[in-house]
Amino acid sequence: MLILHAAEQGLIYGLMALGVYLSFRVLSFPDLSVDGTFPLGAAVAGILILQGTNPFLAALAGGGVGLLAGAFTGLLATRLRIPGLLAGVLTMIMLYSLNIRIMGRPNLSLLGRPSALVQLSQALGVPRAYENFVAAGIFCLAAFLLIFLFLHTELGGALRAVGQNPQLVRSLGMNPDNLLILGLALSNGLVGFSGALAAQYSGFADVGMGVGTIIAGLASVIVGEILLRPRSLFFAVFAAIFGSCVYRLAISLALRYGAALGFTASDLRLLTALVVLGALAAPTIRAALKGETS
Amino acid sequence: MILEVLNVTKTFPLGAERVVALQDVTLFLAPQDFATVIGSNGAGKTTLLNVIAGACRPDRGRVKLAGRDVTHWPAHRRSFLIGRVFQDPLQGTAAHMTVAENLALAVKKGPRSLSFLLTARRRRFLAETVGALEMGLEKRLSERVAYLSGGERQALTVLMAIVTRPKLLLLDEHTAALDPANAEKVLAITERLVAEHGITTLMVTHRMDQALSVGNRLVMMHKGRIVLDLEGEEKRKLRVEDLVGLFRKIGVADDALLLGSGGNGAMAEEAKKLAHLL
Ligand SMILES: Nc1ncnc2c1ncn2[C@@H]1O[C@H](COP(=O)(O)OP(=O)(O)OP(=O)(O)O)[C@@H](O)[C@H]1O
Ligand SMILES: [Mg+2]
Repeated sequence: MLILHAAEQGLIYGLMALGVYLSFRVLSFPDLSVDGTFPLGAAVAGILILQGTNPFLAALAGGGVGLLAGAFTGLLATRLRIPGLLAGVLTMIMLYSLNIRIMGRPNLSLLGRPSALVQLSQALGVPRAYENFVAAGIFCLAAFLLIFLFLHTELGGALRAVGQNPQLVRSLGMNPDNLLILGLALSNGLVGFSGALAAQYSGFADVGMGVGTIIAGLASVIVGEILLRPRSLFFAVFAAIFGSCVYRLAISLALRYGAALGFTASDLRLLTALVVLGALAAPTIRAALKGETS
Repeated sequence: MILEVLNVTKTFPLGAERVVALQDVTLFLAPQDFATVIGSNGAGKTTLLNVIAGACRPDRGRVKLAGRDVTHWPAHRRSFLIGRVFQDPLQGTAAHMTVAENLALAVKKGPRSLSFLLTARRRRFLAETVGALEMGLEKRLSERVAYLSGGERQALTVLMAIVTRPKLLLLDEHTAALDPANAEKVLAITERLVAEHGITTLMVTHRMDQALSVGNRLVMMHKGRIVLDLEGEEKRKLRVEDLVGLFRKIGVADDALLLGSGGNGAMAEEAKKLAHLL
């Protein structure tokens, strides 16, 4: 049960991790707006479902508004020349207020409301216990394939190049700013979609549910990379989803057995941040150690 | 004319003052001209290339490419007409993409579509194109550029800058970061490709022998001005010693400047006179 739940969450949040992979790894842009676009997707999908909209459309709408919010961050960072981190923070803060406006209050209950995950699995005749898992897997697989194929197109190739060498992209007659905006839109579209599914999965949308999204996303991407050591784009994209599943499993285990060691749910963010910190600092520390010994 | 730089002045803020990087520079390149540019550090060579490529805007003056006034075009728009290679081999390629992917991105300019970057047909074409370098890269199409040597990477960059047959090629000390053997190789490849496609070229170099042996024109810059512009026979007669002498003369003028006498204009005159004496 614990493993199944962790896998369900890992797949649903894996869509978010894919989005973070796009911004953080492909574009080399640490985009903090995801802390706002994740609950934005949840809020929009939640309110639409309460108004009777089809849950699939509601999830797509969640992705759509994420797309717009990501493009907004991109506009701040490029057209207005606001430093990337700050652009993301500004979007995130604006979305905090906006999300409460959208929902009309800080949280919505979706208990007993239709869920795209359940409906998809029911249409396929999946046994009740595996409904969420199978549907989340299908959504994740579809997103994985789309991103993987997209990164192999001319446009996707340009997007990869812009994260590594914007100067090159400019010299090939493209505007790197436009590519960055497009990339951030796609990234946050995935995050918004992930938030919309998370709301349907957990039965609520909450303005606070986005806090720490970026850290969870980074942890997933990094854990996936450490475990899979991807050499090809296929595994690099896959690693984000895989890392997300491992991350959720680790959290579930920590929550289940951590109490014995004396820590609580509120310590999770600290632990996650330490994992990310360790992974990001590892190359520097390794180099420093090498420098001392040689 | 392929390139017309007309009375371009460019200054940069330095504290409360402004450094003059280019002072009323005028330069014309005719079709298939290959001009080498030399000059001491800070002479304004890179700034001149930046102004031509659109990486920075001149304070005054105009830039025309193939008859079109591009002074107000952004860099990415000018790149339809310009290929550029920098000194640092890392600057011209995407390190974590393969040789094939890099070259495939470079075979066209402008916005991209959703068609696949690499198809079997495209791959054959790329293998053929990269084969022109005669470096065996056609067998390493699927390798990441990060794994190439500096020379291989820079040769690939030259190819990428030339493959769309731009009107103008800008080279900024593009062999300076390579070891002598690789520098020779990359320079030879550059000369061959430029000649093959008849591309007008402006090449900055700090090697006087290179500046003399390559191309049909030689431009010397000092303190933001063009102090010497020789062509054809005049250039061919020039020897390294002449250039050294010219540099030394300017160096003397420099000392005079430090002592508070003379000026940029006087120095330019000095160099011009010298050029006529040669
Ligand atoms: N972006 C900039 N900001 C401030 N000053 C600059 C900038 N770019 C160039 N300069 C100044 O303009 C002058 C000309 O510099 P430039 O880089 O064009 O010289 P260069 O001839 O290419 O020299 P080098 O041989 O060292 O490459 C120098 O005094 C330099 O300090
Ligand atoms: Mg320079």
